[in-house]
Amino acid sequence: MQTLDRRNFLKAVSGAAAASVLTVPQSFAATAKARVVVVGGGFGGASAARYLRLLDPGIDVTLIERGTRYTSCPLSNEVISGERDIRTLQAGYNGLARRGVKVVHAEVTQVDPVNKTVATADGQSFPYDALVMAPGVDLDYSAIGGLTEELAETRLPHAWKAGPQTLLLKKQLEAMPDGGRFIISVPKAPFRCPPGPYERAAQVAMYCRHHGKKKAKILILDSNDSFSKRPLFEEAWKALYGYGQGGMIEWVSGATGGIVEQVDATAMTCQTTFDDHKGDIINIIPPHRAGKIARDLGLATLKGTWCEVRPESMESTAHKDIYVIGDSCVGGELATGNGFPKSAHMANSQAKVVAAALVARLNGLPPPVPIYTNTCYSVVGHDWGFSVVHLFRVENNKWVYVAKGSGISPVTFGTKEKPLPVPRSYRKMEVAYADGWLRNLLADSFA
Amino acid sequence: MTKTKTLLALALIGVCATASARGDIEMLARTCNGCHGVGGVSVGLSMPSIGGLPKEYLRNIMKQWKYDERSAITMNRIVKGLSDDEIDALAAHFAKQRWVPAPQQASAALLAKGKSAISENCEDCHGFTGSDPDVDAPRINGQWAKYMELELAKYRDPRFKMPHRKMKKAAQDMKPAEVPAAAGYFGAQDK
Ligand SMILES: Cc1cc2nc3c(=O)[nH]c(=O)nc-3n(C[C@H](O)[C@H](O)[C@H](O)COP(=O)(O)OP(=O)(O)OC[C@H]3O[C@@H](n4cnc5c(N)ncnc54)[C@H](O)[C@@H]3O)c2cc1C
Ligand code: HEC
Ligand code: HEC
Repeated sequence: MQTLDRRNFLKAVSGAAAASVLTVPQSFAATAKARVVVVGGGFGGASAARYLRLLDPGIDVTLIERGTRYTSCPLSNEVISGERDIRTLQAGYNGLARRGVKVVHAEVTQVDPVNKTVATADGQSFPYDALVMAPGVDLDYSAIGGLTEELAETRLPHAWKAGPQTLLLKKQLEAMPDGGRFIISVPKAPFRCPPGPYERAAQVAMYCRHHGKKKAKILILDSNDSFSKRPLFEEAWKALYGYGQGGMIEWVSGATGGIVEQVDATAMTCQTTFDDHKGDIINIIPPHRAGKIARDLGLATLKGTWCEVRPESMESTAHKDIYVIGDSCVGGELATGNGFPKSAHMANSQAKVVAAALVARLNGLPPPVPIYTNTCYSVVGHDWGFSVVHLFRVENNKWVYVAKGSGISPVTFGTKEKPLPVPRSYRKMEVAYADGWLRNLLADSFA
Repeated sequence: MTKTKTLLALALIGVCATASARGDIEMLARTCNGCHGVGGVSVGLSMPSIGGLPKEYLRNIMKQWKYDERSAITMNRIVKGLSDDEIDALAAHFAKQRWVPAPQQASAALLAKGKSAISENCEDCHGFTGSDPDVDAPRINGQWAKYMELELAKYRDPRFKMPHRKMKKAAQDMKPAEVPAAAGYFGAQDK
């Protein structure tokens, strides 16, 4: 796979776009100081390619991504409820191409870490000096009896990779009768976007409230015993939709029977350790693991599931010159339960670290001191949102979670002695900020 | 080092004399891009552009957030993780960027209403287009109107701690309908 055969060579030079991605090692060596290949063009990979070019236009950057148009998962729950048009979440790759990134749309099938080449399904081969892996997550359908990838695309959409399944779930919701039951099955953590399933429950409830489905129920069957921003979600659910006994939203923890083991797509039931639950809509979010291409390469050193990396650079602990960012990697202060959340903002932040580390390395400069930040917004009503921010530093080659620079939106206002409820105007502003954040984040990754 | 190498080193490590011993100010400033845009030029209507605002203003409000003297929705949490030196370096960094106004369209009626509202209460301190502010005020010509509306709501709400008494009073003296009009008017100015 290392060299192009004649047929593929001709194929490659036949189109103008293809010609620009043709890899000719000799000429590269003459013009570019180094070749970096990025696998995966989501928030992580796109940001890495973009910042590599911003920081050093002398580096030759190739981004390989199977899709031609990216759809952001952040704020995609608002698409399900009809609050947002999916097109506001999409970005193409022209912005990166304009910055001199060689964008290749192909499926990466193999990486050879010894000869340092990346091979794609259509027979191309790309040599690299450094490789950035950002393939996101793979969903493990086999973990739940009766679930298949095909079922996810037809009857049981997870909608955990935004796109056609998001629209399918929206359609199912629109068709659900009043009094219908919408089941969300949450996998064992870690999964991408820790607050995502609970935001989805709220968006579905909002849709039902405003579209003549006031008797609908949303049942969250959780494999975990607690969840992200819990006091904020519970306050909002209670105030807006009713929560718990008799309310619209009900949450079942893992310990009390929330773990879904089996699903029957014909009878539309799911089986937990305790009970069977019938649903009009069954939204199973399968367990996550690092993208297949990263696991195949042996990068998933943590339980064969997640890729461990070095705090100062995001370089894989398994292979030299290979860096892993985004949902596939694991990092943060794991010992205290403050791991990196799997989020778009985090992927973008890791991408900036990897870009600066690589540019320094390839130019023989001392490594810069990294810093990692995150924000996740949750929009739970058209005028109610909240967020969480995270800050991580690196000290003595270890990640340090900085509690002082991290935290959720306030649960109460006023002072400790005289707590007041948080003004509704405050929650409403976060809905506006979520939108502004997403636009900037998309631009900071794809423009 | 060659010249390009030196330039690169400067870009990577930061040229700021006050850059904190903890690390790299460019790296830190890049974490702001996800919400405020590259160089502090925002493309998100609710998020402010911050590149090119006065250093003193930037420093002052970040410290107020850090020490709980000023309310915010997000920034108060973010700056609490930064040292005072880092805040100074960030203020210097963003003050050095160019102010890039994003003049937004507004209806003639809104502009007229905005113009009359601001010439009574705001022009003295912000200038006729928002580009000629008092020393302690930021530029607001071509700042995002949506952001300014939210900010004005904070100045007008007694539950929000906004320490600048005169600006607070000016905001509270406005009639509700003047708020979007003034924000729309300043947001529409390119110079
Ligand atoms: C409902 C929902 C809500 C969310 N809300 C937020 C939020 O508010 N804030 C936030 O920060 N995050 C949020 N997230 C999380 C966020 O979407 C992910 O963390 C983020 O997308 C991770 O970026 P990534 O680059 O690692 O992976 P991805 O964005 O998944 O990108 C990976 C890319 O790699 C490509 N790829 C994979 N393998 C190959 C291959 N072999 N060949 C070629 N291409 C390949 C894929 O096509 C894909 O485009 C949310 C997620 C969901 C599901
Ligand atoms: C998650 C999004 C987010 C990130 C990241 C972020 N900000 Fe902000 N910023 C905001 C929001 C929202 C506001 C409005 C004030 C508030 O928080 O209520 C704001 C306001 C500001 C303002 C006030 C602008 C004005 O015109 O008065 C400054 C200055 C600022 N931020 C600086 C920074 C710096 C410096 C960083 C990086 C260290 C940063 N911000 C990172 C969201 C963000
Ligand atoms: C006495 C002088 C003064 C007057 C009058 C005044 N402002 Fe201000 N304005 C300021 C100062 C100073 C600040 C920064 C205050 C701070 O630090 O909180 C400010 C901040 C603002 C901001 C927030 C900008 C940002 O980037 O966050 C807006 C918007 C604004 N003013 C609009 C107005 C409008 C509209 C009026 C008229 C109704 C007005 N101001 C009247 C001095 C004034």
